[in-house]
Amino acid sequence: MEAIVIIFISALISLFLGIMKKPTLVLLVSIVGLLVGALVQNYEWYFLNEKYHVLDFNDGNIQFLNLAITLTGVIILSGYKHFMEESATIGDFSALMLFSLSGGLCLIGFTDLFMFFLGIEILSIPLYVLAGSKKKSASSSEAALKYFYLGSFATALLLFGIALVYGTVGTFDVEKIGFVSVLFTDQLPSMFFVGVLFMLAAMLFKVGAFPFHFWVADVYQGTPSVFMSYMSSVVKLIGIYAFYRLFGMMFPGVETFWSMLIVIVIFISMFIGNLSALNQDTFKRLMAFSSVTNGAYALMAVLTFSSESEALLVYMIGYSFSVVALMTINSLANNDEDKLVSLSGIGYKNPLIGVVGIVALLSVAGIPPMTGFFGKAMVFYQAFEQHMWLVSFALINSAIGVYIYLKIAMTLLKKEENAPIIALNWSQQIVLSVSLLALLFGWTIIYV
Amino acid sequence: MELLIIPFALGLISFLVPKNNIRFFGLIGSIIPVILTCIHLMDYIPGTWIELYRCDSEIPFGLTFTLHYDGISLLMLLLTAFSFPLIFLSNYNRDSSQSNLFHALAFFMQTGLFGVFLAGDGVLFYIFWEFTLIPIFLILYWFGNGNYTTLVKFFIYTMLGSLAMLLSLIWLKQHAHSFSYGDLIAANLTEKEGFWIMSGFMLAFAIKIPLFPFHTWQPNTYSTAPMAGTMLLSALMLKMALFGMIKWMIPLAPEGLECMRWIVIILGVLGIIYGGVIAIKQTDIKKIFAYASISHLGLIAAGIMLFSQNALTASMIQLINHSILSIGLFLVAEILISRTGTQDITQMGGIAEKAPKFAFWFMIISFASVSIPFSAGFIGEFLLLREISEFKLSLGILAASTLVFGAVYMFRAYQITMSGHKENTQFTDLTWNEWLVFCVLGILALVFGLAPYLIGDLIKESAQQLTLIVQNNS
Repeated sequence: MEAIVIIFISALISLFLGIMKKPTLVLLVSIVGLLVGALVQNYEWYFLNEKYHVLDFNDGNIQFLNLAITLTGVIILSGYKHFMEESATIGDFSALMLFSLSGGLCLIGFTDLFMFFLGIEILSIPLYVLAGSKKKSASSSEAALKYFYLGSFATALLLFGIALVYGTVGTFDVEKIGFVSVLFTDQLPSMFFVGVLFMLAAMLFKVGAFPFHFWVADVYQGTPSVFMSYMSSVVKLIGIYAFYRLFGMMFPGVETFWSMLIVIVIFISMFIGNLSALNQDTFKRLMAFSSVTNGAYALMAVLTFSSESEALLVYMIGYSFSVVALMTINSLANNDEDKLVSLSGIGYKNPLIGVVGIVALLSVAGIPPMTGFFGKAMVFYQAFEQHMWLVSFALINSAIGVYIYLKIAMTLLKKEENAPIIALNWSQQIVLSVSLLALLFGWTIIYV
Repeated sequence: MELLIIPFALGLISFLVPKNNIRFFGLIGSIIPVILTCIHLMDYIPGTWIELYRCDSEIPFGLTFTLHYDGISLLMLLLTAFSFPLIFLSNYNRDSSQSNLFHALAFFMQTGLFGVFLAGDGVLFYIFWEFTLIPIFLILYWFGNGNYTTLVKFFIYTMLGSLAMLLSLIWLKQHAHSFSYGDLIAANLTEKEGFWIMSGFMLAFAIKIPLFPFHTWQPNTYSTAPMAGTMLLSALMLKMALFGMIKWMIPLAPEGLECMRWIVIILGVLGIIYGGVIAIKQTDIKKIFAYASISHLGLIAAGIMLFSQNALTASMIQLINHSILSIGLFLVAEILISRTGTQDITQMGGIAEKAPKFAFWFMIISFASVSIPFSAGFIGEFLLLREISEFKLSLGILAASTLVFGAVYMFRAYQITMSGHKENTQFTDLTWNEWLVFCVLGILALVFGLAPYLIGDLIKESAQQLTLIVQNNS
């Protein structure tokens, strides 16, 4: 709760500082706000263990909260240069990101459908603006418009679904709905199932899974790099975790109904993401399709809900830090055309970029000993007992994925003597080092 | 634990050493693991399990962290440790010996290999198994002239096999308490499950060995790889797969052995004939040796599947012999290629009169390769053929064709390149480092040929234990 308030306040302050044209101060306030928010929240969790009316930041949730806040901080740092170039609007950007994050935190800790809906709205609306933040670019506006229309449609579906569920059960409280769905499974009217279906559709849209994945590629491509990495790491993480908790806690009684649907969705999403990524030559589009695939792997965790969410946590650490590292490298080395070829030889000439790049790619491809491997192995391991065939196909997809990421790795590490040497400033060095550490040692969090 | 830390530390230090000293550093540094493994060998009593490290804290998902070895693992550790100085030494005058990156990657590779041979946990084994792929891939990519397709094929192919192994491990864990070696062995499976789990492992190992229909990545990768990369691949990486078969695949799922035995033995025998026939027709010197390697390894894989104490001992002897040979043969190939500027043997010729020392050592290595008596190959192949013949006489006869094919392709290669007379060609004789490598290899081949019990005594008891485990569980 405190984290949301503090981050919200720091967003407001940075908005005003932006009007007063103090770009460095804006970033400082945002970063400090994130830090203080996370610290206070952790203090409260550790010593006071308080529970609010509709929010709960204990146990599993606090770790996702920490991860989301850390990632946002890292992304703001990685966009430092981009922000500084457009210092007139810097206050807006960082404030919008923080507003969006505070919505995301509601979504991490919700115990009530009302808070859930509120969180999803606060998370999404700033994103529509951020997607179109490159005002002179047509593709950016296209992305914003597309995202906005489709996103509002999905929200409408979600609201309709919530209304139908509420109409059946008579409560917004997630746990109570869970009890009802377990105790009266046989007596539930079809209205309830329609509600579940609508909510499922809306959530699939938010995490970008089949059959609602069409927006992902266009929106990711049009959005500026910084916000794209925010969308594909933090928003994805929060979306999937919310999905995980929502369906695991609310509808355990009718699991046979929705788990079958999710299995089909995962199966098709993996193949669509991978096969579409196979021949992409622009980096962002490739990452967009890769996020469809990785989202599908993460959805396997939804099938195996338990109070321990370590598998999903480790998986998301691996995936989101890979995305952040790769997007940072891409924005360092690439121009607006965003071609894969222009990364050629960068990693060979710049050791830090090379190491981080290859570690990130190996991690997202799921090759040990990176965090991505542990996450993937744990998620697959949990799902194996009930969904053996799904896991087998997921492993085949991993092999296709290896090809895709290997292609980038080989471009990046090509032995090319006249590749440019890139000077890194302090913020980029911090971003790359933090990502490297997280990708190499992030999986040790299961010991904590 | 120090067996893992020291090579890794050496790899990190390699980045700091000045460029003109790096090859010397590599050579000296690679002696340290040799000394370490020798110390372990001194203290080892055959048949025991030595635990190097165990982490007792409770770890989620049934992961454990244990490092241990028995006789077979110890032999593989020794092989790995001894191969690296030889590889560095034969690489002493090549371009890549000036590179810090190359030495660092090679030491990381050694860490991974030690990890594979020491691992006492299924997932740990898998992690190290995959970890070795990264340095070797980078060595091939940066120091070889391999094109994109060859390397991608190599990586994807091996990765696909590994994923099948991961699936098998996860499946096996459903029946076991944790991923630790002992628990995985204790798991009870039905015959059908055992077969499928075993095929997952077998796919990974068959691609790496490579067995007959899975070999297509190998000849191209070998012929475009740098010399040191080929040596690492063929002397050590492939041995990981054979080791995995002995130590992991069969004891873990012995229930499937009856079904799997026939498949692998027939594939192995097919590989022996196929590799031999293709090697006879090749003109690329590296490809001849690559197909020869398919032929030799098919025999070892078939022998392992018999899984009796004698067959295992013979396989291990032949495995060590093959490592010695492959270092020697690929050094020969590199010497020929770098000094004549071509990989095509039909354009060579008359080298023997210009480089008598080289001709002598090439002859010795060829003899060892066709397994004449007094070379290690003789003992290994003879015992393996005997075991296979006892199992099924017709298969034994087919497998024995390796002796004929071996002599044909080896002496054909020798004859075309070395004998005859050719005007106006320059060919410098062996440099000191190459001479030293050949000497060591020749002596090793002779020693193991005369005294195969050196290997046999070390592993006999451990092999016995493994066969007992398999008999009790199947």
